[in-house]
Amino acid sequence: MDNTTHFGFKDVATQDKQGMVRSVFDSVANKYDLMNDVLSFGAHRLWKHYTIAMANVKTGDKILDIAGGTGDLARAFATKVGNTGQVVLSDINAAMLNEGRKNLINKGVIGVEFVQLSGEQIPFADNSFDCVSIAFGLRNVTDKDQCIREMYRVLKPGGCMLILEFSKTDIVPLEKFYDFYSFNVMPKLGKFIANDEESYQYLAESIRKHPDQETLKKMVLDAGFGLCEYHNLSGGIVALHKGIKTQ
Amino acid sequence: MKTLILENALNHLLSTHQVDISPLEGKTIRLSLQDFPLDVYFICTNNRFFVVTNSDVTDVEITLTMSAFADLLKQAKLHDMLRQDKIIIHGDVKTAQLLVDILQQLDFDFEEVLSQWTGDIIAHQAGKVVSHLKSSDRPISAFKDKIAAILINPKVVK
Repeated sequence: MDNTTHFGFKDVATQDKQGMVRSVFDSVANKYDLMNDVLSFGAHRLWKHYTIAMANVKTGDKILDIAGGTGDLARAFATKVGNTGQVVLSDINAAMLNEGRKNLINKGVIGVEFVQLSGEQIPFADNSFDCVSIAFGLRNVTDKDQCIREMYRVLKPGGCMLILEFSKTDIVPLEKFYDFYSFNVMPKLGKFIANDEESYQYLAESIRKHPDQETLKKMVLDAGFGLCEYHNLSGGIVALHKGIKTQ
Repeated sequence: MKTLILENALNHLLSTHQVDISPLEGKTIRLSLQDFPLDVYFICTNNRFFVVTNSDVTDVEITLTMSAFADLLKQAKLHDMLRQDKIIIHGDVKTAQLLVDILQQLDFDFEEVLSQWTGDIIAHQAGKVVSHLKSSDRPISAFKDKIAAILINPKVVK
């Protein structure tokens, strides 16, 4: 059995990846939102807005946001589910979770629960949530199939899973620009703004190692979801996969 | 994008009208319009509808024209429309009837639904476009003409 996995373009021992990813996010946590705005030219707000619109969430729903980081999705979900619903913001990284907690408090959002957890071992009972989301987190998970299986397990029958993640663009001119931007500009911006070039080099590499749209769709279906559709955003730079746990 | 709009609009209407959709729980219904680019699946589960463009499983397939669909929403009887060949149904007719019963409980105020996302002014303009389409024999061409007219000179479009 192969005991290695990828960390960006490097092969590393499987048991080491989680710690290495944690170091990346420990390093970037306090500049995470600013860097997202700068690196995506603000587009990440539109991608997340689209994700919320696609979630088909209603008042009273229970939502789990995995790798929820600074709480962008959790804040929008909290508005949708209202006082009778429940939103759990989770992240494996304590520094990111603390940033999320600070953000939500500063924005006057109350009632969101915070749980530090790994997407590979979700500490909730089967059939607990109406919607489970993970935005820009799956590519950092060591065992992605296990994470998707866990999301399936904790979803109620008829529940909806959302995976928002960088993906593959098939628009050739955009791909060339995107490659140049990712490997030459993003790490330099990381160094300039967050004083951390390596983490943003990892970001660019991890995006290239992440499964493309069709591969991820197959992973979702293999995990047990009865239905999965994906929607390309910004020419496929980002894709939203929506899985439904049909009964 | 059309699935997103349909899904949100339908679920919004269901929640505002407090319609019970439990009789359709677990059902998948394919709806195809013959004269408009719409071919979608409605999946009723977890007390809401999901609207998707593909599904391996279908309980019933409903094919009809836009005007027949509008008639259905205006309380037309399903069996009358079947007899007049205005609607084609493959599969479980009872499921189709349940869907029609649910849709007929909803008051489709297009402008009200749209205004949630666009605000009142844009929703009202769009409502005028829809009214124009309803009175046209060639809805897609009429839609293009109306949009072009609005973009060129919105003030003169009545």
